[in-house]
Amino acid sequence: MIRLVFIKEFIDHLRDRRSVLGSFILPIMGPLILWGVFQLILDLQRDRELEVPVVGREHAPRLISYLEANGAHLLPAPTDPEGVVRRGEADMVLVIDPDYPARYSAGKSAKIQLIVDDSRHESHKNVRRVERILLSYSQSLAALRLIARGVSPEVAAPVELEEIDLATPEKLAANLLNMVPLFLMLAALVGGMNVAIDTTAGERERGSLEPLLLNPVRRMSLVLGKWLATVAASTLVALATLLGFMLTVHFLPLEELGMKMLFGPYQALVMFAAVWPLALFGSGLQMLIATFARSFKEAQTYLNLLNLLPMAPSMFLMLKPAQSQWWMLPLPTMAQVGTVVDVMRGEAVPGWHLAVIGLSSLVYTGVCLVCLVRLLGKERIIFGRG
Amino acid sequence: MIVIESLEKRYGEVIAVNGVSFGAEDGKVTGLLGPNGAGKTTTLRILSSLIKPDRGRALVDGIDVAERPHAALERLGILPDSRGLYPRLTAREHLAYFGALQGVSDAQLAQRIRELVSLLDMTDIIDRRVAGFSQGERTKVAIARALVHRPKNVVLDEATNGLDVMSTRAMRTLIRQLAAEGTCVLFSSHVMQEVSELCDHIVVFARGQVIAQGSPALLRQQASEDNLENAFVKIIGTDAGLK
Repeated sequence: MIRLVFIKEFIDHLRDRRSVLGSFILPIMGPLILWGVFQLILDLQRDRELEVPVVGREHAPRLISYLEANGAHLLPAPTDPEGVVRRGEADMVLVIDPDYPARYSAGKSAKIQLIVDDSRHESHKNVRRVERILLSYSQSLAALRLIARGVSPEVAAPVELEEIDLATPEKLAANLLNMVPLFLMLAALVGGMNVAIDTTAGERERGSLEPLLLNPVRRMSLVLGKWLATVAASTLVALATLLGFMLTVHFLPLEELGMKMLFGPYQALVMFAAVWPLALFGSGLQMLIATFARSFKEAQTYLNLLNLLPMAPSMFLMLKPAQSQWWMLPLPTMAQVGTVVDVMRGEAVPGWHLAVIGLSSLVYTGVCLVCLVRLLGKERIIFGRG
Repeated sequence: MIVIESLEKRYGEVIAVNGVSFGAEDGKVTGLLGPNGAGKTTTLRILSSLIKPDRGRALVDGIDVAERPHAALERLGILPDSRGLYPRLTAREHLAYFGALQGVSDAQLAQRIRELVSLLDMTDIIDRRVAGFSQGERTKVAIARALVHRPKNVVLDEATNGLDVMSTRAMRTLIRQLAAEGTCVLFSSHVMQEVSELCDHIVVFARGQVIAQGSPALLRQQASEDNLENAFVKIIGTDAGLK
């Protein structure tokens, strides 16, 4: 009987094309977002060719050769320097004033202009590089002039600034790892949501619950069949998401960022072992909650709120990054975040951790299903229609 | 055979069913007649094991429904008040699912579905998904679903509600046919013509009680009215809720 109910509910679900496709959308976005964000970081990380169009390069041959020696690739002068920058065709244009040689020889401040567009973020890095080259050229000239006048260059540099940048891309990327357990959990919950609703609140809304209960079948068999169909749907979506992440991580050039993110078959297996119990429990809990709803829409409202819950532990662990603690293990969603992040970091996940996660979830699932059977004996559930 | 013995069901202060007793014999059509809210549906729900009575019992072929609900349900074919279908399944899949839930073997099931298709004239709709069905077509599927395990006792709650003239006629023919085959048919309605035309035995409900029962002729005699409609109005004391 359990098998019979399972097959009916699963076929019924598969025929609901829209809800099947819909259940895959949110979880599949996880790997896509991960891919996108990493590409963005890589783009920022890879140095762009330092191309500098120069107007009036003939006025300052020594400055020009200093720039070239420091890695700048100088381009011929554009006809409309400001327009080129405004349209984003060049990060900047260097303009050397025609007075430059005369003032330079006279030992006065010679004027150069750097035309930039400060609102363009992607050009900031190159502009800063050119500014630094120009500044260091200026400082080395100043030092030479001071030495020629018998003054120590240090007199003109009372403070020496050294910048140490801590915003490494590795850190940013490590935070992104928290996304993986979040989306796996969403997949395990959202994947079965429509089945959970359709087999409970849906039966009530259609008025098919009463005829169903008029068969000589134990309520527990009905509940187990429906639950298995929900679990099957959520497992499929969770597996698809896991595969998506595996492929994404496989094809991302993480070494370029010097990042360690392990996501091989072993890691995938451990992650599945940690996330699957949530699919079992989540399916039972969603069915239980949806049974209280008289209509599909009402149930959706409740379950959408429930499915925000996995966000909480992710936030908590993002703010307070730590290794997973033993007390997190029997807490659904907390356990999943901890275990998945641990295994990606390359830490060993002991077998008993997975056993605790699995067993505690089975206990919660059992409670949900027993409550569900009780609920299906209640008059207000059987006959109370929307 | 169905026997109802002094059933009582309360909801707080409200007494939905108050000491209801009657019997429905095999091969006969028994009609429950009464205005909406008179206790017909509650009685039938107790009979179908979904509501536990506070007192009294319901017997199906001698089986106490509350004690052995599954044994009773195997002998009952029930068309309940709510007759929802699964829009993404075909009519045939509905019959196959409910037949299997009733424990009918595959070979018998195929044979029974063929019978029901011809009995209910479902050839055109049997392999279509239920989603676009008319009210009449939906009722046919719901009735076939209730009859798929060849129950010896058939309970129809407001079976003709919402049906057009042709479907109503077909339903009456079916009910007569079932009784002729020796099935015990219990039929509830608030439509008087229907009950007086179809039933061998009428049980009149009002305010949670059975206030009269007997053959149509006997009821007319009791109320000393020639016209059954007037007899009912006299028995019930009001014509509110009757059509």
